[in-house]
Amino acid sequence: MSVSNTLSTASAKPRTRRPATRRQKRDWLFAAGFLAPFMILLLVFQYVPLLVMARNSVYDYSLLNPAAAKFVGLRNFTDMIDYDDAAVSFGVTFLFALGVVVFVIPIAFSLALFLNSKLPARGLVRTMIMLPVVTSSVVVATMWSFLLDPSNGLINGVLNIVGIGNQPFLTSTSQALPALIAMTLWQQVGFGAILFLAGLQGLPVELTEAARIDGATRRQVLWNVTIPLLSRTTLFVVVIMTVFSLQAFAPAFLMTQGGPQESTNLIVYHIYNSAFIMQQAGYASALSVALLLVVLAISMAQMALLRSRWNY
Amino acid sequence: MNARILFLAGLLGATALGSTGAFAQNSAACTGEAVTLRILRTPGNYPYPAPMEAWQKENPCVKFEINEVPFAQLADTISVQAASSNPPDVLVYDGPNTQSYAASGILLPLTKYLPKDWDEDILPATKAEHSFEGEVYSPGIEQTTVAMYYNKKLVEAAGIKPPQTLDKAWTWPEALAAFKACQQGPAGAPSIWGLGPTRFGNGQPGLVYQDLIYQRSAGDPKAAPESSAYKTFWALSKDGKSVEGYLNTPEAIEALKFYQSLFNSEGVAPKVGIPNAFFDGKACFYIDTPAAGSALIKDPKIEWGITPIPYFKTPIVHTGSTTIGATARSKHPDIAAKFVVDMSTGEYAYMNVSQRGNLPTLKSLFPRFETYNAYPMKVFVDQLQEWGQPRPPGPKFAQYDKLVTDALRAVAFGGDPADLMADAEKKVQRVLDR
Repeated sequence: MSVSNTLSTASAKPRTRRPATRRQKRDWLFAAGFLAPFMILLLVFQYVPLLVMARNSVYDYSLLNPAAAKFVGLRNFTDMIDYDDAAVSFGVTFLFALGVVVFVIPIAFSLALFLNSKLPARGLVRTMIMLPVVTSSVVVATMWSFLLDPSNGLINGVLNIVGIGNQPFLTSTSQALPALIAMTLWQQVGFGAILFLAGLQGLPVELTEAARIDGATRRQVLWNVTIPLLSRTTLFVVVIMTVFSLQAFAPAFLMTQGGPQESTNLIVYHIYNSAFIMQQAGYASALSVALLLVVLAISMAQMALLRSRWNY
Repeated sequence: MNARILFLAGLLGATALGSTGAFAQNSAACTGEAVTLRILRTPGNYPYPAPMEAWQKENPCVKFEINEVPFAQLADTISVQAASSNPPDVLVYDGPNTQSYAASGILLPLTKYLPKDWDEDILPATKAEHSFEGEVYSPGIEQTTVAMYYNKKLVEAAGIKPPQTLDKAWTWPEALAAFKACQQGPAGAPSIWGLGPTRFGNGQPGLVYQDLIYQRSAGDPKAAPESSAYKTFWALSKDGKSVEGYLNTPEAIEALKFYQSLFNSEGVAPKVGIPNAFFDGKACFYIDTPAAGSALIKDPKIEWGITPIPYFKTPIVHTGSTTIGATARSKHPDIAAKFVVDMSTGEYAYMNVSQRGNLPTLKSLFPRFETYNAYPMKVFVDQLQEWGQPRPPGPKFAQYDKLVTDALRAVAFGGDPADLMADAEKKVQRVLDR
């Protein structure tokens, strides 16, 4: 008798539940044994810290002297409303995520279409777009800092050639965030493209062939068959890119330190800053709780809005 | 089974022999309890091996276990390790954090361990920086401050003669005229900059250590304590509890408009770092600590000189360096305190200071450093003794430093000085009030 059968029988007739056989007990023991290492790691490194974080969010303390923690109730949360740093940081982070997702999706999809075709140089393009994905964020951020240098950067050099003056990029409140979005787009688009490519290669060929036989043009097939059928992949890419963007830290830490004037103060960098520099670990925990809830809410909203209506 | 027993017996024997050897090595001189002091420091920093070995000869029962972290991660590491169940015994940390660490109970008060004549011998700025509520928490080994280096060839070609003594120091407008005369190429994108970028941090402007002196020098410490000139100079209330009215003053804003012009309208200083700009001959003037002069003495890549830091109304330079302290929760507080004090005084202090080339904190040691007795390096000593002030000290210095640095950087990048300083005051006050 299988485990699922046992469970269904038990739930239907709880009073007449038969004692588990030796084999069932052994199966449970083995299952628990195999699951235990992962479950223990998950508990110790994911759920326990989450609970500790939630507990810390109602205390005011410094990492230098955690023994002197004071219970402050919801003060850390009301501070997020009373002072504008949290609102500014969340606002900047949403803009960053929006910028990344809005540009990554169409570009990654276009690249995936190209990689899925039989055009020449596909292998070269695949390598080119995957290289930034596997390159360390620290290396990418450092490289882009040099590229975007306001005086001697390569990008300004190119702009000078076409008659455009030096741009301040990372030192300008209006250009710093777009510059970080551009860098993240360059780094993440390859990952999005690979996910879309996997989705494209999983589509049943007969559907597109049938549409073509029915007289649909390539554009109509793309618009009316391929894109709707890729909605699951699109949802996955949107959620992954949104979560990546909401968790971004390296660009703000390495390239702008959250400036100028907090224009790139991404929320994870703000949390780090609150805990380790400002020594407000309780407030940082409250920000983390808020971020967790925001990420959950956004992911659920995206899943509800972009839910797949087609199956194949 | 026999093979296993033989193997275990062999292992036991080898361990016993090894232990006997280690014990014999220590017991040759150590007659008391063996102690291991755990030291957290940055790479290449003191306490250096030679003074440590010399000290160990006098204290044969003490061993050292050294952990090193890069300076950029030092404060974070201390935050984590200081609260752990087994904190280091000795910390080498950034001096302005003394009051913060003292207030948090991390550092051990060292007043009772200091030599009798220490009070008269120590530089006042060092003592102020390393004291909290009447107790000294670090004797300090070395001290630094900044002065303005110049490239002799470039400056002389522009017909400029920078002053070499404090009494003839330039004002900032005079210095700007020199930057403009020496700079080569268009403002904002020259081939040779009037004033080179800092080597600290990521090379961007705004660091409190180097750039808060612009506005502080527009203040006046002799003015009435309620006046904005007085508050501008101190940049934080004496008790460290209030910053409102200390950063956003008319004098500070005027100075900051000038500071901003260097990076924008005048275009004589870059907004981002250029590695080794001064040493590669790409900057006429450059602000740095004595470490740059010591490096140039050893390897004179360019002909160079030093001029005192310019000012608006009151000359001022910030002091501060890394420093050394014993932790309050050390398992061997007396030994850790003795080690820290010994490393910071007398011959051991001389050995430590002479290794890196910064300035000593003890006046009695200055005559022993010949380099500092004559121009150009004497400028540092004179500045330190005449103009030296710690960065606004207080138990929330790290937070103050971060928030004011952000504001100064935003000013350098073109933001409105009054708005930014008002915002900085609000944010710093929030931290001070918590």
